[in-house]
Amino acid sequence: MLAASTATAQEPRLLEPERAFSFSARALDATTVETRFAIADGYYLYRDKLKFSLEPGALATPPVLPPGKVKQDAFFGNVETYRGQLVLRLALAAPAPGATVTVKAESQGCADLGVCYPPQIQKVTLALPAAGAPPGAPVESAPVKKTWFN
Amino acid sequence: MTRRNAVIALALAGGLALGAGVYFGQSDRWAGSVADAGQSAATLLALTLPDPAGKPESLGQWQGKVLVVNFWATWCAPCREEMPEFVRAQDEFGGKGLQFVGIAIDEADKVRQFGEAIGVNYPLLVGGYGAMELSRSFGNRVMALPFTIIVGRDGNIAHVQLGPLPDTKLRLFLGKLI
Repeated sequence: MLAASTATAQEPRLLEPERAFSFSARALDATTVETRFAIADGYYLYRDKLKFSLEPGALATPPVLPPGKVKQDAFFGNVETYRGQLVLRLALAAPAPGATVTVKAESQGCADLGVCYPPQIQKVTLALPAAGAPPGAPVESAPVKKTWFN
Repeated sequence: MTRRNAVIALALAGGLALGAGVYFGQSDRWAGSVADAGQSAATLLALTLPDPAGKPESLGQWQGKVLVVNFWATWCAPCREEMPEFVRAQDEFGGKGLQFVGIAIDEADKVRQFGEAIGVNYPLLVGGYGAMELSRSFGNRVMALPFTIIVGRDGNIAHVQLGPLPDTKLRLFLGKLI
């Protein structure tokens, strides 16, 4: 419905966090999962709040996070942020060809409009390829509902 | 214009109008529907939350004041940045019936530390998912912070703000309510 009340404020247009920080993953082979955050324009994620884990199983090592853009924060000092596409590879501790695994991504981000979202947990369940099989297709954590208008 | 072009132009105009109508119909998908001014704040005033030391405080105790309830967190930079302005306003108008209350979606220790660091002169309470859900019922559809609800002395919502509340806007409302 149209915002009719003149007494209420002009509210900023904000995306749902799953749309602002869209998460997907694909299995490259039995030991490697490639994750992707597609961060909408005008939104950013904090580097130090990113965490990845697997259910079941473990990562061989924590993923190497690229340097982010440094932002001066009055309270916390220097913080690093990510914008746009963030692609990271996760190395599984033990190869599991053909197994099903769930990738869990924890993140926290904000919008340039001046709001922050609570920490988010996004999950994708993948089938790891068998030995020699090609990489799997990307699977989205929150598939966008297709309507006539998007 | 040829007849064919006129038909095309008409069809385009019709399509645009249809599209625009649907856009506005869906506009609250982007803007987020907000509580209407005049809506009762009863569910907000019924809330009881602990302070950082664990002592429960009921918002109902401030009924009759001009209550500014600010949902915030230490992990939210825009939230932290606007709080000094709230501290100043509390100082200036506290004697005239203004009462700020901060509801932090956060850990008690961090809330206490930050409160002490900037000299917060109003109650800071610690909320969790339930408090965020309550803010959603007042229009915080995407559950983002900061989110501020201004309640008049009559217990009704005077204003709801998603995002930072500029000082000029705050004072505009205080001028009408206090």
